Amino acid sequence: MIKLDFEHRQAGHCESGVTRNLLHYHKFSISEPMAFGIGAGLFFSYLPFLKMQHAPTTSFRVWPGQVFDRATKELGVKTAIHTFRNPKDSMDKLNEILEQGFPVGLQVGTYHLPFFPPEYRMHYNMHNMIAYGHDNGTYFISDTLMENLVEITYEDLMRVRFAKGAFAPQGRMYYPTFVPENIDIKPAIIKGIRKTAYNMVGIPFPLIGAKGIRYLAGRMRKWEKKLGPEKASYYLGQVLRMEEEVGTAGAGFRFIFGAFLEEASTVLNQPWLKEISVEMGENANKWREFSYLGSRNCKKRGKPDQSYDFLADILLEVANREEKIFRKLAKIK
Amino acid sequence: MEENSNPVYKDQRYGQSRELLYSYDENGQYKKDVGFHGEPDRIILQQAWDHFNDRIEDARRRVIAGKVSPIVYYMEKFLADPLNLSMMAGISIWKVKWHSRPGVFKRLSEKTLKKYADAFNISIEQLKKVE
Repeated sequence: MIKLDFEHRQAGHCESGVTRNLLHYHKFSISEPMAFGIGAGLFFSYLPFLKMQHAPTTSFRVWPGQVFDRATKELGVKTAIHTFRNPKDSMDKLNEILEQGFPVGLQVGTYHLPFFPPEYRMHYNMHNMIAYGHDNGTYFISDTLMENLVEITYEDLMRVRFAKGAFAPQGRMYYPTFVPENIDIKPAIIKGIRKTAYNMVGIPFPLIGAKGIRYLAGRMRKWEKKLGPEKASYYLGQVLRMEEEVGTAGAGFRFIFGAFLEEASTVLNQPWLKEISVEMGENANKWREFSYLGSRNCKKRGKPDQSYDFLADILLEVANREEKIFRKLAKIK
Repeated sequence: MEENSNPVYKDQRYGQSRELLYSYDENGQYKKDVGFHGEPDRIILQQAWDHFNDRIEDARRRVIAGKVSPIVYYMEKFLADPLNLSMMAGISIWKVKWHSRPGVFKRLSEKTLKKYADAFNISIEQLKKVE
């Protein structure tokens, strides 16, 4: 029986929330947007050849695990990361680490999570949560999506940690082992911004970043003719679901990133970042407008101002805005 | 205007769990609020579940008509596609597609059936028929 004194705090995004909560336990407090920004969590990619739930994959987040890895690396925090082949080994290791007094972050699949809201139970293997204690086959879990602390049984935890399918977690667990005192977060912030800017405008590949948004806009114009109204609206719904659903806190993380820029401008004492955070906020609201009109389209109230052409125009505008924002951010010193 | 913000509702208008949501208001302030999602988010989730339920119902009808094997029905019920299922059951995707023929399914060995049953978390008897 062990139950660590762990403070649960809800977060907009599972992984930056986990990073923030784990670091907070080790007496180092940053806000959730800060953890998200330093970990360079903002992203966009549209992968039409990779189908997820019968529609092309649109992703607003980076590879699972990257936010935690980058944030801790930039801050100089020492961490341990394990993956396993054998489910039993992974549970033994988890018990061992918990008994040493470290809360542990876990990557899990959401389909079999018993406490998850039923409407979100799809095959999605990139969810993160924290185990902070166990007692006789019951594990105490802090899931940043949920308002309260939850519990899970040994069998269920083993199943979700070894969920199969794309991005299988393979029992991945991670935790900070050593947090230095007096961390200087300024260089970490600059590196995080630079990395995000590179991800959004620097990668020479057409499906990623601002170019990816433009590509999606181009494809969207052809959907109705190519796929028929039914399927086209489902494809659109998939994009919106990735943008607004579980743990993006709205508009595909753009709100969190804007809050991060606002905070960064005070920490770094660079007022121009504040102006960019305002631009980011307007850009995020544009994304919200896109999802609002798009959802009207999904409900089959086909008006001219909700057609795919109109939505694609909004996306183009968003892409132009983001390109401008991140070209400016790439010059940060 | 509603479509320009990220509305957070305090009453249980849509959804079942309260989440933390960020927003940016007209005064240029970032805010975070705990509450329920707004209507647009509800519509797109509902659309997905309608789509899944349609597919499950369609698969059930085709199994009863003898067009496909019960594997297809359970695959749809599990919200998986052949690629996903092949990863979960440890059977190659071509074989998964091949096994969706009723004639082929009847000749499958116990060992293969067990693999599918484990992936779906049901017994072999259940796997052989649809409810």
